[in-house]
Amino acid sequence: MSFNETDVQNALKSLIDPNTQKDFVSGKSVKNIKISGSDVSLDILLGYPAKSVWDEIRAMVEAHIKAALPGAGKISVSVTSKVVPHAVQRGVQLVAGVKNIIAVASGKGGVGKSTTAVNLALALAAEGARVGVLDADIYGPSQPTMLGISGQPKSVDGKSLEPMMNHGLQAMSIGFMIDGEDTPMVWRGPMVTQALDQLLHQTRWDNLDYLVVDLPPGTGDIQLSLAQKVPVTGAVIVTTPQDIALMDARKGLKMFEKVGIKIVGIVENMSTHICSKCGHEEHIFGAGGGEKMCADYKVEFLGGLPLDIRIREQTDSGKPTVVADPDGQISRTYKQIARRIAVKVADMAQDHSAAFPKIVVQNT
Amino acid sequence: MSEQPTELKLHQQSRLLEITFSDGVCYQLPFEYLRVYSPSADVSGHGPGQEVLQTGKRNVGVTALVPVGSYAVQIDFDDGHGTGLYTWEYLYKLGKNQPALWQDYLDRLAAAGSSREPPPGAKK
Repeated sequence: MSFNETDVQNALKSLIDPNTQKDFVSGKSVKNIKISGSDVSLDILLGYPAKSVWDEIRAMVEAHIKAALPGAGKISVSVTSKVVPHAVQRGVQLVAGVKNIIAVASGKGGVGKSTTAVNLALALAAEGARVGVLDADIYGPSQPTMLGISGQPKSVDGKSLEPMMNHGLQAMSIGFMIDGEDTPMVWRGPMVTQALDQLLHQTRWDNLDYLVVDLPPGTGDIQLSLAQKVPVTGAVIVTTPQDIALMDARKGLKMFEKVGIKIVGIVENMSTHICSKCGHEEHIFGAGGGEKMCADYKVEFLGGLPLDIRIREQTDSGKPTVVADPDGQISRTYKQIARRIAVKVADMAQDHSAAFPKIVVQNT
Repeated sequence: MSEQPTELKLHQQSRLLEITFSDGVCYQLPFEYLRVYSPSADVSGHGPGQEVLQTGKRNVGVTALVPVGSYAVQIDFDDGHGTGLYTWEYLYKLGKNQPALWQDYLDRLAAAGSSREPPPGAKK
């Protein structure tokens, strides 16, 4: 029984990619279908990084084609990922060397933004993407400690800064430039926004698929600067389940809506606490808060993370969970959330409906 | 948010900003009109009743349109004013209500005894 490329396409129309919830044909992932005799070969090009599950997807596609086309001989599928850059319109200055910018924010302090941001960045890197972290918390930078990086950034030309590196990430923070861990940045707003601008634009980011921006709590200067000066692809809101945190997280979300930045989704941190002695699991901060907020604003619930002493110990030591325990349950959760973020960012990057309008100047 | 513009065209000679929105509507907003209704706190104040009447702006020009995020544009005028961030929503409102808003401006000018003309010899 012979078949052609159309048959293979049709077969794949009924196979759903678990990460995008769309079939592979609608997701434009199927490329290079070649038929030689009864052998079939094709490439699956995912729009998001997924190195940890390439094999799983390959096996799934091969099995599906075998079932749909019983006459097929050898089936070879190759799976790779390619991250699409955010199609920013002329006018808004692109940050050189960066394809997509993901802001991690909360509204409330102390919910785990920096920890979540660094672990998500590492998860995206573990899935094969090139990732950078920008620590936008000028008053309280945490990334140097969390990434275990010390020392000052170098400059090759006296104007730009080389990003600091560890665990495969490129990073920049005001924390790298101050002497002494306890030096406060006693600065008023304009100095802070100028510092953020320099950290963002004067760092020589090297071909990043994603720049994860760790924002400070609140809805002030730093958030506004980011929104006004930089093409943020999307924002992830981190919250804990209790009402007090949610109230501030809602304000954070509305702020992004006001300045036209799309919300990728909500991550609920400290969802449950697991006792390290007896293993008893308890919703100490309440339950369902993150999901309720998602329902109220029609945004996606990306996932929940537990309050686990290991997460804190690992970031304090400069080796966050995703690198300290890459195959553990918590890392797998971070990676799942990261993949979902990458899928949504890929969709947003290609959505031109909210792009900046064309500006034309005429002598008429 | 339905008012998303697809194109902003600056007509330097006729001193008009032509703005086309995604719902098909197209407005032509004179520079003077945009200038006297700038959303900047210097012009609009910090609340109703705090507006500062702008006068003598008949010949004002626009030197630049600077994008602000993806939700507004900053208009730099040649009289030095450049702090107004015009959101898409605001521009749509200025376009939709132009006759009424313009007449209101002219009435307020008359009430203050002021003029649209720039003072003679003055730098705009």
